[in-house]
Amino acid sequence: MSTITISNLRKIYAGVPAVDGFSLEIPGGSVFGILGPNGAGKTTTFKCMLGLARADSGEVLYDGKALVPQMFEQIAYVPERSVLYEWMTVDEHVEMTRRAFSRFDAARAAELLAQFNIDKRKRARALSKGMRTAVMVALAFSRNAEILVLDEPTGGLDPVNQRHVLSLMINEAAKGNSVVFSSHQIGQVERAAEHIAVMDRGRLILQGLVDDLKADRKIVEGIFPDVNFTLDGIANDSRVARADRTERIVRLLVTAGADEIAARLSGAGAVGVRVLDLNLEDIFLYAVSPATATTDVVAKENSL
Amino acid sequence: MPAVLTVDPRSGVPIYLQIIEQIKRSIALGVLQVGEQLPTVKQLAIDLTVNPNTVGRAYRELEREQVIETAPGRGSFVRANGATELPRVAAEIGRDALDVALREAKSVNLGREEVRELFETALTRWFPSFEK
Repeated sequence: MSTITISNLRKIYAGVPAVDGFSLEIPGGSVFGILGPNGAGKTTTFKCMLGLARADSGEVLYDGKALVPQMFEQIAYVPERSVLYEWMTVDEHVEMTRRAFSRFDAARAAELLAQFNIDKRKRARALSKGMRTAVMVALAFSRNAEILVLDEPTGGLDPVNQRHVLSLMINEAAKGNSVVFSSHQIGQVERAAEHIAVMDRGRLILQGLVDDLKADRKIVEGIFPDVNFTLDGIANDSRVARADRTERIVRLLVTAGADEIAARLSGAGAVGVRVLDLNLEDIFLYAVSPATATTDVVAKENSL
Repeated sequence: MPAVLTVDPRSGVPIYLQIIEQIKRSIALGVLQVGEQLPTVKQLAIDLTVNPNTVGRAYRELEREQVIETAPGRGSFVRANGATELPRVAAEIGRDALDVALREAKSVNLGREEVRELFETALTRWFPSFEK
């Protein structure tokens, strides 16, 4: 049940910060999803967490302690790109992992590989991208690790096997272990993750419990009878994150208090006031691409 | 536990609220009987492929609302305080649904009297006078 604390992490590659002052606390015993566009810094963050890359500044602590080699046994990692040895068979990878990690359960690995329909006699070079992912996932989930760090753990997998990986993650959380994963498939994160963090350009731009973000973040929409309407300062409310105004329609992204803001909008003369739910994909798109999430969304200070 | 319990993770409605709503509905319809045991948090999480903490949150809320009770080491059960639970849970579901309908009606500027007329018509359609 270790809590992972990332503080002010910074990693610069060729003068460009891949991770730029990133701080995050990942509670133990939960499934934590990290979302972000390509190049947001997810993989670099994972590498710094695991000691595979040296941070330029900042630190990652496990229950307040820095990572030491004795802890490698407790942490399993599925990298985004295949790290299998091309000339080795799947069986030889199982054997190599067994020798490296004392808690490795070879029978469990065989069971998982069978569930993924992997022929253990095949060499890695004969495996498709999805099969390579499945092999790495099977090895990681047989380690009896307390922390699983999974970088795109469903890459190349068909929907049945994607769901199977999600089930494995849920199982680990049910045992009290921690799972941190990244995925481009927001639907998977939405289903399996309790917490999410959204990264963009090396920074943290949004985090929270998925259910709380959905409960709090809403679109409040109203239509005014006349084009010349005023919002009576509603857009300046700190809970209004964004305002989009087209002709007679105003659409507000609120981070809390949707019903109250809807009532104020009615009070300002709007008709047809509606409160719309947002799913995680909407929330993500609003967070990372303010200008393109919906048409004509503009920063509120510019428009109203 | 009914196999009908499903969640739609892509909905904007938080998953724990979806679980609460469905368990209440199952109780109101008698699919879950008073005193009946619910699946464990872990089992339901695995069945639905959702986070165990999310299921735990739904169960805690249902306990707070006195819909279910949890006996340490034995599991969670539909609260065994008799048939009074059933109408209360059913009334809550009906009230929430009416709230949604009235909010919609208000949002398109229907007046009180218009809504009343619509309500009477709908009431007659769904509950003809020879029915209780």
